[in-house]
Amino acid sequence: MSAAANITRAWLLAGAAGLSAIALGVRAQQSGHATEFTTTEYWDAPHQQQIKTILSGAEAQPQPGGLLIIKQLKLRTFDLDGSLKIIVTAPECIYDTMGGTASSGGPLQLQNGDGTFRVEGEGFLWRQTNSLLTISNQVRTRIETGAKPTIKP
Amino acid sequence: MKRLCLIAMAAGSSLLGQAQTNLPGTLFTARGPTLISSESADFDLAGHEATYRGHVRVDDPQMKLACEQLVADVPQAGGHVNHLVAETNVVIDFADNKGQTNHATGDKAVYVYREQDSVTNESVTLTGNPQPQVEDAQGVQVGDVITWDRVNTNIHVRITGNYHMIFHEKPREAATGANLPPAQTNPPAGTVQDNDPPAQTR
Repeated sequence: MSAAANITRAWLLAGAAGLSAIALGVRAQQSGHATEFTTTEYWDAPHQQQIKTILSGAEAQPQPGGLLIIKQLKLRTFDLDGSLKIIVTAPECIYDTMGGTASSGGPLQLQNGDGTFRVEGEGFLWRQTNSLLTISNQVRTRIETGAKPTIKP
Repeated sequence: MKRLCLIAMAAGSSLLGQAQTNLPGTLFTARGPTLISSESADFDLAGHEATYRGHVRVDDPQMKLACEQLVADVPQAGGHVNHLVAETNVVIDFADNKGQTNHATGDKAVYVYREQDSVTNESVTLTGNPQPQVEDAQGVQVGDVITWDRVNTNIHVRITGNYHMIFHEKPREAATGANLPPAQTNPPAGTVQDNDPPAQTR
């Protein structure tokens, strides 16, 4: 099994085992409640030192069946050179630690690294296994072009 | 054919923004954003590709595009949208530099943007069944493949395969403004001119 898969599996198992285990960045924790948690996934070998995704939230509440209600979701994806590629944010979502999915019927925002490509929508499903994000309704994209004056000699 | 050249500029530069970056001695200032709306969409966060589905609309200061599915690459920071594929009932409406409304239709439209050795190359290709066509105040031009290539300031227009043109009985008044409703899609009875025009350079 690849390093990334191992990490993913560990992430999921930890999530199933308990909130304290899944929340790598937990700073405060009470029974069944955590704040400021972060989980990190790395690229496959030979780039296993490079971060692929960081999933973070301001708050996480465990639910039956290995589910977590995450508040203030932020998902960041990175390229092999470490550059930030995509940022996805949502006020709330349900993260399935066993299935590796995050979903919500609520709003979501997505943007590329410099914010020139922005997307909003209602209702989403993110599949960790293939990094596919589906927005179900009212998808609106804004592409900023020519924002910077350019002078060519 | 000038109108075809302008289609390329409108469809290309408007969707892709920095189409004229290699024009010498020019200053390009901020312009309005391009907006895309659809019923749903899939984003491949690893492959950086977006697929819009259902009543897709592209609203740009210079043109409007409608289709049922649109696949676009997600530009990297500081990058450019390099590839777009619009499929199923593709309709492009735009006002050319004379303020004249143009109306192009096809089953598929592919836009490609490349920069190599300081040369910007763009192309828009309309294909499909029924045949793609472009209509303006003078008439309707139809062909199997309608392609606009742009290398720096040169625009090459090619209409190949079963080309014909249907002239309007009376040229319509030039409509102005990109926000006007699309021109009538069914051409009126008129003269049909068949030929196979060579590529033109503007």
